[in-house]
Amino acid sequence: MKGFRFTAWLSTAIVCFLFWMLLTWSVAPRELLWGGLVSVVVAAFACRFFIHSSAFYLYNPVRLILLVFYCVIIFFWEIIKANVSMAKLVLSPKISYKPGILRIPGSPDLKSDYGIAMVSNCITLTPGTITMETAQDQEGRNYYYVHWIDVAETDRDKAGDAIKGTMERWIGRIWK
Amino acid sequence: MTVFLIGAIVCIILDLLLLYRVFRGPTAADRICAMDALDLVTALALVLYSLHTGRTIYLDIALVVALLGFVSTVFVGRYLERRL
Amino acid sequence: METVDIVVAVLMAIGLFFAFIGTLGILRMPDVFGRLQASTCISTMGTIFVILASIVYVVANGISGSVVVKLVFILLFVLGTNPVSNHALCKGAYRSVKPNPEPIIDDYKEDDPQ
Repeated sequence: MKGFRFTAWLSTAIVCFLFWMLLTWSVAPRELLWGGLVSVVVAAFACRFFIHSSAFYLYNPVRLILLVFYCVIIFFWEIIKANVSMAKLVLSPKISYKPGILRIPGSPDLKSDYGIAMVSNCITLTPGTITMETAQDQEGRNYYYVHWIDVAETDRDKAGDAIKGTMERWIGRIWK
Repeated sequence: MTVFLIGAIVCIILDLLLLYRVFRGPTAADRICAMDALDLVTALALVLYSLHTGRTIYLDIALVVALLGFVSTVFVGRYLERRL
Repeated sequence: METVDIVVAVLMAIGLFFAFIGTLGILRMPDVFGRLQASTCISTMGTIFVILASIVYVVANGISGSVVVKLVFILLFVLGTNPVSNHALCKGAYRSVKPNPEPIIDDYKEDDPQ
């Protein structure tokens, strides 16, 4: 099998087995045996899609705690702010806005696939902005093409700060 | 609890409102956008109804509905992009 | 009514209100990009608060823990998959639909048309 690595297979199998145990919610030996078998087979096929570099990166407890803290506090607060502004726009008697598609620069520290995907998903999940594409130029800098429903700032760097807020700094502490 | 039944009925009313956009929408992208939202609201209605009746089988159905709506929306998006 | 019931009702009302905002946005916005932006309200605030109300109800009444796990999985799946479908649909609509309020700035067209 092309691209098969033992550490990637082991890490994917552990995650699959945890999912199985949480969804069946029983510790009967029969369930555990079948779950282990199925997750080992599934991980052998699926590991090359999930893991490309260091396999046990997220098994670090500090990173897990940071991830949960980010999702529960920082991200939730950003979502509430964006939702209230979207509610004001929708409930106003006459809808008028100025849309635009901006190319905002990404942080130079954040280069892994999972980090870029998480930043663009967080941008998309706040109402008012949708990431349309991520790109990389010759010097290795990342760019996000963001559709912004009400453009308040046409300068790219300041618009990037306004859109991403504190989210990218927190994700940079979790992913490389 | 009765609150959950009221919530499920509100979700179904929102579904009917979204169906107006599905039938009316001028382009295919509008229809698919409304169908994606309709999937999510239906999943919420199933969650609330399962808590009202106390039968957890509806939770599994809600999980499957939320996942399948995602797949169909991605396919139609790729088709509109002329990559399929 | 007990305190827990009031908390559950308030959380569920917030979630359904934001789902209503998303529905109203889909009905009122002039073009497909605005509708996509408004529909994000349903998938974030609506889903988060309805699932949160359900979790509070289940934990307070001591129903089986597997229900809580399934509710958390529904929330995680929705929050993980919905941005992907929104992004694919937005790119598809960019190729096929003429935007109704013209974008005042469009970097995507200049930089890579295909």
